[in-house]
Amino acid sequence: MSEASLERGIAALKEQIDAPVAAFFSSCTHCGMCADACLFHTETGCPTYTPIYKVEPMRRLWEQEYTLLGRAKKALGLSKPITEEELEKWQSKVYNTCTLCGRCSMVCPVGNDITGMIRKMREGMSAGGFAPEGLIGASERAVEIGSPMGVRLPALKAQIKHAEKDTGLAIPMDVEGAEYLVLLSSMEIMNYPEYLHAITRIFHQAGKTWTLCSEAFEATNSGIQIGSSDIAAELVGRVVAAAEKLKVKTVISPECGHAYTAIRWEGPNLVHKEFGFKVQHILEVLDELRAEGLLKTEGIEEAKLTFHDPCQLVRRGGVVEQPRNLLDMIAPNFVEMEDSGVMNWCCGAGGGVSANEDADKVRNKAFNRKKKQLESLDIDVVVTACANCRIQLEDGLEINEMDIPILGLTEMLAEHLKEDKPVEEETS
Amino acid sequence: MSHDETLKESLTRNGVSRRGFLKFCATAASIMALPPSMVPAIAAALESARRPSVIWLSFQECTGCAESLTRSHSPTVEGLIFDAISLDYQHTLQAAAGDAAEEAREEAMKENWGKYILVVDGSIPLGNPGYSTIAGISNLDMLKETAKGAAAIVAVGTCATFGGIPKANPNPTGAVSVSDIIKDKPIVNVSGCPPIPVVITGVLAHFLTFGTIPELDELGRPKVFYGNNIHDRCYRRPFYERGEFAETFDDEGAKKGWCLFKLGCKGPITYNACATAKWNEGTSFPIESGHGCLGCSEPNFWDMGGFYKALSQPAVDVSQTAAYALGAGAVAGLGIAALNRKKKADVATDHQTVTIHDLRRNDPSKTEAEDS
Repeated sequence: MSEASLERGIAALKEQIDAPVAAFFSSCTHCGMCADACLFHTETGCPTYTPIYKVEPMRRLWEQEYTLLGRAKKALGLSKPITEEELEKWQSKVYNTCTLCGRCSMVCPVGNDITGMIRKMREGMSAGGFAPEGLIGASERAVEIGSPMGVRLPALKAQIKHAEKDTGLAIPMDVEGAEYLVLLSSMEIMNYPEYLHAITRIFHQAGKTWTLCSEAFEATNSGIQIGSSDIAAELVGRVVAAAEKLKVKTVISPECGHAYTAIRWEGPNLVHKEFGFKVQHILEVLDELRAEGLLKTEGIEEAKLTFHDPCQLVRRGGVVEQPRNLLDMIAPNFVEMEDSGVMNWCCGAGGGVSANEDADKVRNKAFNRKKKQLESLDIDVVVTACANCRIQLEDGLEINEMDIPILGLTEMLAEHLKEDKPVEEETS
Repeated sequence: MSHDETLKESLTRNGVSRRGFLKFCATAASIMALPPSMVPAIAAALESARRPSVIWLSFQECTGCAESLTRSHSPTVEGLIFDAISLDYQHTLQAAAGDAAEEAREEAMKENWGKYILVVDGSIPLGNPGYSTIAGISNLDMLKETAKGAAAIVAVGTCATFGGIPKANPNPTGAVSVSDIIKDKPIVNVSGCPPIPVVITGVLAHFLTFGTIPELDELGRPKVFYGNNIHDRCYRRPFYERGEFAETFDDEGAKKGWCLFKLGCKGPITYNACATAKWNEGTSFPIESGHGCLGCSEPNFWDMGGFYKALSQPAVDVSQTAAYALGAGAVAGLGIAALNRKKKADVATDHQTVTIHDLRRNDPSKTEAEDS
């Protein structure tokens, strides 16, 4: 054990600077288009929230360490070294006002993955001890307890008991050879247990085998949010070990955005190996079941509703058509919001922002963007597929005194599930 | 020849038909880029024009300009218009010599004070007045004196317009152009070494028709003749566009009539009417004869680095230099890349795994938080 220091932070940043980063910094034309793509900039009007500026210390380090001109400038004292004060000041830019939503990367005319660079910037910030307290606490709980919210196995077991009672179905735990390993987010375990009920019923009707794992039920990854690959690898490693131990074919990421990014996209790179199993978001699995005729619904949702695209799912993950296919089954009054799909605006709470109390104020301000989008639609219900988006939407609408219920897509589908198969009393 | 005889009368006397005269007017209109509606106006003006008195002074020159103009002799209209003006002094052509010749000049000046056209060929030496004198009068004095009563001055040839070959480095006589000395008279620069005959007749026709000098470019040249560069009007331009160049004067490209740019053609920077008006009664112009343009109507054409040096051809072999530069760049790039890679590898090797116990700094207030 050692402690965080400026030197460790700078070393971590140096390690993060690779060929893509060098190419990105070299090709930035300072056009400022990323500024208007970022809801923290548009809703506050603060120019220091311009996405590319959030990685300015890393840019300077790249210049000083890896370019000829930068070396000369540094030698002549024209380029100042990175200081503790500077990185402390940068905390609010790198953590409080960035949800890693990826919108800036989409608009960059030279194709810079600015979001990816902010994710890298967080590596240096966390190693240097400049991460916000909220995320440090969440990371500690994630590693030590197994959940950023401190949810332990007994709490999950209690929820399982409720679900089994309500559905009349057994919820498998640690079943070897099951097709699916289902992960949950702490938020779903504590706030939205409907999700567990829903998938239990859906998988029963689909005739699919699945299981939870007592050693790895948590899908979220605080390591990704705080920006520490070491911690993220530790957390992903637990899921990989569980999946390998139970020999499942597919690991299902729950209705959570960054969990999907963590396991599906960053996962193999974090543990430095190819997975022997598939990783899918629950909506991808449900859409496959629908296509195979294994997910049938009855009745329709009368309400006029819209779908909030979670950034990590849609923009960073590419899951765009699946939620729409699923909504088509039950929601004739579905309307798209402006900028829907890959360019949808972030709820304002992803990427660790919701776990960071320092960001509460600016998070609520950023929500204005979503508020405006929803106001223009005149809808009865908002559907989404991320527990974190969902809680932010609930909070934000409450603060703005807008009475619109928020639903998870999986549970909404379960409400209309056509149940052909008898529910046997399987609980012990 | 009487000064009171009009051009029409003079032409008739010389056996030029009405048809031939109008043909000349149409030609004059077209070379001056005037609309066809101007042809009758030119005809009317020329018919009634009194033949103006022209005094022609030759200074440091080779007589090539006079050769060029006089060789466009009758029956061409360029020759006829010379008959039609009253050339009162031209020491190469006039029969008179000595005092009689100078008297002719003085008389013409006196009679036509303020109305005569002064034509000058050759440059004026400022280094020593003795370098060039006529009847004991230095070129500078004669120019100043004759210019005083002129209605307009036509500087003919590159020597008179820009100093020309006498001015070429190292300019031993201190040669200068007419416009370097005369500042208070309208001057038309008809440059070229020599100029195209039709250009000088065109300028005179313009003067006779409108009583003014034509519109000039920034070098004092009539825009109607010097408005386009040779390159833009060259019949070999398509080869240039396709990158097909003659590399030597007897290679396949030269035989096929490809672009002479690489052989030093100055067409792209030379403004003149050669490619359109052509020479020798419209026969051809130098590029058609297989030789690049020398740029003779441009200032300092003699000192532009060599007639056979391509305008933008670098002094050294491009491909070789580029290869060396590429090689040097690649080596430097690889060197820097290796350094950078080593630096990155070093930090990666020295990477200290970040655990949840490493996330805080040694800050008392924060340690307290950790303990609690």
